Amino acid sequence: MDVDGEDVSRRLHVKFVTKLDSPFKVPVNSVAIPSNVTRLGLSSIVNSIIQSDNPEWKTEPFDFLIDGELIRMSLEEFLLAKGISAERTLEIEYIRAVAPRKEEEPSLHDDWVSAVNGSSPRFILTGCYDGLGRVWSSAGSCSHILEGHSGAISSVAVVNSKDAETVTVATASKDRTLRLFKFDADESVDSSTRVTAYKILRGHKASVQSVSAQKSGDMVCSSSWDCTINLWNTNQSTSEGESVPVKKRKGNNQADESQSEGEAVTTLVGHTQCVSSVVWPEHDVIYSASWDHSVRRWDVETGKDSLNLFCGKALNTVDVGGEGSALIAAGGSDPILRVWDPRKPGTSAPVFQFSSHSSWISACKWHRSSWYHLLSASYDGKIMLWDLRTAWPLSIIETHNDKVLSADWWKGENVISGGADSNLRISSGIAIS
Amino acid sequence: MTKKSKGGKEDKKAIETKSKSVSGKSQKQKKPVEKEVEKEVKEEEELIQESGTDSDYDGDSLSGSLNSDDFNSDIFESEDDVTQGGTEEEDGGDGESSQDELLVHEGSIDNEDGDDGSEQIDSDNNEEEDGSDEGSDRDEAVEESDSSEDEVAPRNTVGDVPLKWYEDEKHIGYDITGKKITKKERQDKLDSFLASMDDSKNWRKIIDDYNDEEVELTKEESKMVRRLLKGKAPHADFDPYADYVDWFKWTDAIHPLSSAPEPKRRFIPSIWEAKKVVKLVRGIRMGLIKVAKPEEEPEEGPVPYLLWEPASTSDQKNKNLTYIPPPKLKLPGHEESYNPSLEYIPTEEEKASYELMFEEDRPKLIPTRFTSLRSIPAYGNALKESFERCLDLYLCPRIRKKRINIDPESLKPKLPSRKDLRPYPNSCYLEYKGHTGAVTSISTDSSGQWIASGSTDGSVRIWEVETGRCLKVWQFDEAIKFVAWNPLSSLPVLAIAMGRDLFFLNTELGNDEEQEVIKEMFHSGNIPEPEASVAAIVTWLQDELYGGIKIRHFKNISSIDWHRKGDYLSTVMASGETRGVVLHQLSKKKTQRLPFKIRGLPVCTLFHPSLSYIFVATRKDVRVYNLLKTGLATKKLETGMREISSMAIHPGGDNLIVGSKEGKMCWFDMDLSSKPYKTLKNHPKDITNVAVHRSYPLFASCSEDSTAYVFHGKVYNDLNQNPLIVPLEILRGHSIKGGVLDCKFHPRQPWLFTAGADSIIKLYCH
Repeated sequence: MDVDGEDVSRRLHVKFVTKLDSPFKVPVNSVAIPSNVTRLGLSSIVNSIIQSDNPEWKTEPFDFLIDGELIRMSLEEFLLAKGISAERTLEIEYIRAVAPRKEEEPSLHDDWVSAVNGSSPRFILTGCYDGLGRVWSSAGSCSHILEGHSGAISSVAVVNSKDAETVTVATASKDRTLRLFKFDADESVDSSTRVTAYKILRGHKASVQSVSAQKSGDMVCSSSWDCTINLWNTNQSTSEGESVPVKKRKGNNQADESQSEGEAVTTLVGHTQCVSSVVWPEHDVIYSASWDHSVRRWDVETGKDSLNLFCGKALNTVDVGGEGSALIAAGGSDPILRVWDPRKPGTSAPVFQFSSHSSWISACKWHRSSWYHLLSASYDGKIMLWDLRTAWPLSIIETHNDKVLSADWWKGENVISGGADSNLRISSGIAIS
Repeated sequence: MTKKSKGGKEDKKAIETKSKSVSGKSQKQKKPVEKEVEKEVKEEEELIQESGTDSDYDGDSLSGSLNSDDFNSDIFESEDDVTQGGTEEEDGGDGESSQDELLVHEGSIDNEDGDDGSEQIDSDNNEEEDGSDEGSDRDEAVEESDSSEDEVAPRNTVGDVPLKWYEDEKHIGYDITGKKITKKERQDKLDSFLASMDDSKNWRKIIDDYNDEEVELTKEESKMVRRLLKGKAPHADFDPYADYVDWFKWTDAIHPLSSAPEPKRRFIPSIWEAKKVVKLVRGIRMGLIKVAKPEEEPEEGPVPYLLWEPASTSDQKNKNLTYIPPPKLKLPGHEESYNPSLEYIPTEEEKASYELMFEEDRPKLIPTRFTSLRSIPAYGNALKESFERCLDLYLCPRIRKKRINIDPESLKPKLPSRKDLRPYPNSCYLEYKGHTGAVTSISTDSSGQWIASGSTDGSVRIWEVETGRCLKVWQFDEAIKFVAWNPLSSLPVLAIAMGRDLFFLNTELGNDEEQEVIKEMFHSGNIPEPEASVAAIVTWLQDELYGGIKIRHFKNISSIDWHRKGDYLSTVMASGETRGVVLHQLSKKKTQRLPFKIRGLPVCTLFHPSLSYIFVATRKDVRVYNLLKTGLATKKLETGMREISSMAIHPGGDNLIVGSKEGKMCWFDMDLSSKPYKTLKNHPKDITNVAVHRSYPLFASCSEDSTAYVFHGKVYNDLNQNPLIVPLEILRGHSIKGGVLDCKFHPRQPWLFTAGADSIIKLYCH
């Protein structure tokens, strides 16, 4: 640190390091920078350094970390707040800023888009209040329409996308049923193909709110307003006698030879109110969130809940991810996104609380590869990207002009969302290393 | 005693005559007049001797003469022989003064010698001439000396008349025997002058016109005159300031003054005193009289005190409660020295900056430096400050204001903190928009998944609670008055009241079996013929438009309420007696009247949540009827309000909340009383609806002032404990115009739905 004069603020010796690949790399030299620069200043410094080596460089926003904390204020304040000494050479790690760089064309639906799913990189699956599921291969191009539901679709899930040939998806609807569809995702057609369900899962006594598939694709679980979670088999075979052909009942003009009906394998009972969300991240563990203000972890083998987190608010959504896929993020009837760490003994207090939203949170999803990133969607029309390393949102996507009902990551660098403005929106170009 | 004193008086007169005779006799003995002085000295000696003998005689006189006995009774000392001698001697001492007095008389008596008449008297008394009476006689003379009345009678008896009446006569009056007293020859002036020149004592002579004689004053008399002229006591040895001699001995005498026995009243307790004592005792007991405790005498010796105690704390405070200690002055520092160190002295710039400051902010003292004490000038502000001090004293209030120091917080009732009573609805996150008219009524589905709303635009809508999506719309011609969701979850039927019609609508939200049941129920064919008793009131019809059932009433419906079992529905019309409230049975499509008469016009009804009771609110009262019994109301609840607008019952069934059109809300604890347990006056305008939560201890009221109030209302199982009511939150948000028309709690969450006249339904979450 050297003092040049009174008008110039203090100078810090910093070293920029990164885990990014070659075009983003800067020489590992110590640079003296004024201490009052913010993220923007640091970003322009790094950009100018790269540009000095590579004249064709296009300016790229970066985010900066010191000791694993994102810088969200001026460097000086940050050091003061964290109590980091400015005497030695600082090592600042930079990453590409997490923000959408591009906004794709909206894909218009006939009604509110209540569910989106981007777990398959090949397509986007959406559910709509008109009772139709849609498969989008890219923005604006609908490849398949999944029909059959008489009520609004509340949730969609991709059951099996591993084998390239056919893809199995499940839709949950407010008509108290779930339907399983099979289609060929790679089939390139100009107009969208209509697909009917190969299996109808009946058994819920009230609206089905959420559906989630096991990793292997053998089973799906669904939660409903009747306070239960049902587990269903997805296979088409009638080996166990569970599936009954229903040709007689569905005597429509459609050729429904393949359509069968399934009954619940297991019912997990324990919640006292509407189970609004389920996720099935591991082979025999299901997480559920309910309006009875609790998040529960269910052991599929025994059918008992092994964890019961009390939140105090009615919950709408839950997701599991983060470090070791163990952190639980949930949002509900208040603008706070909470993250729990169930491995922490003796406490049920959330380890993180993100409260930048202004209305109910309708969806939250962990990034599939990053331990730090998650998104949340809210009825205030905003989608926020969060990093656990800072309490401020990384970026706010305000493309919807009404409630956002559902949002998901797609292909690692896109955020897809559906809302009450009947649009599926894709924000792309989010760089998460 | 009175007798004696009378006798004493008579005696006195006698003594006077005696003294006259005594003096007369002594003067007879000593003639001529020129040698008076010597004679008097002699006389004195005699008198002293006499008084000496007097004491001797006294013992005899006690027994012997009646006269002396009487005297003794008058004079205290005569009773006691022991002191007699001493007192007599004192008397003897006083003898001189009394002697002087006598001498004054002498002057006048001297000249009587020539008179015969007076001699007679003298001779009368002479036989009694005795020294024994002399002492007491002289005492009398001393006593009597002030009165001029009893002096020696003058020779002339004309009395106090102007002497000029006798100027032309040869006599000047008459003596005691009536003979004329002739005027003497007067010396002419020359003779008298010559005489005065010859006689050196002539200046002492005075002419007594009244008796027509010449009187020569003695030396003593002239002295006396001189003394009188000076304003002194006539006798030189009279001490006007003599020590007071307390003649009475206060020590108890052996023998009582009176031998009369003690009267009885001295031995019996006094009734008056007893009364007085009782009065005092009563006063003390009642605390009217404060008995001062005997003060403990402070111990002798010097009282220790705190040497270094600040002066203001100890004494003045205790003495005077209103003592206000003066503000403490700062101790002087270096800057207040006349010769402060240089660093205290402000620079020119600093002084200039002081000028720019406000006068109040300026430092009071700017340190300045003087080379010596001599060079310090007089304090410049002395006059100004003393003037201001005088002004302060003049203008300062003389009365100390008495302030009651009550913490305003302590006056509030002790209520639990709002934080402890969470959860309760406090913020609005969701709005249900779509109606075009004021939303008059809302109703929640028993599961809490949907709400139904009716509006003045004639539409009934069903909304999904969690997303705010409108699922279904039914459009009617009339403004919707009331919507009510069937309490059974298996029977998703909506009752809608508008104008004179009541609709039962299938919401089509149930599962297939339920739908079939409802369709069967609503099928047109099986509407039975109405009973004659209700035929005039209601007509059951099939509704073609939406496939429901329509019940047409004879009057406008003001309120409806489902029974908890979901089969019966009560409708209220503004009509008296038995026609105001009717019960519809949905399963049998039957209508029946209440089996009792209702006094007044019913406003709304409410079924008891667990028992077969019905609450009927008229304008001012709420009556509770047993549905299974005919007859009178089992209970009447007096609200004390002008006009009831709505009712809600606690799920326990023992507590009723009534809202009124004057903004008041009553909480009735029906086990406690038929009067309100609490009356809450919160809303400035009409309360449109009240609501109680099914599971949380919450209740709410909404009003035309476009606010909704949320209260904590906890009912305890313990009958001894009264319900706890705590106001929690004022929910605002609806536009001012028209206010909030309905509020309903979410059946399972601590959330409140409010329906506004601004056509918006709001959901307030916790």
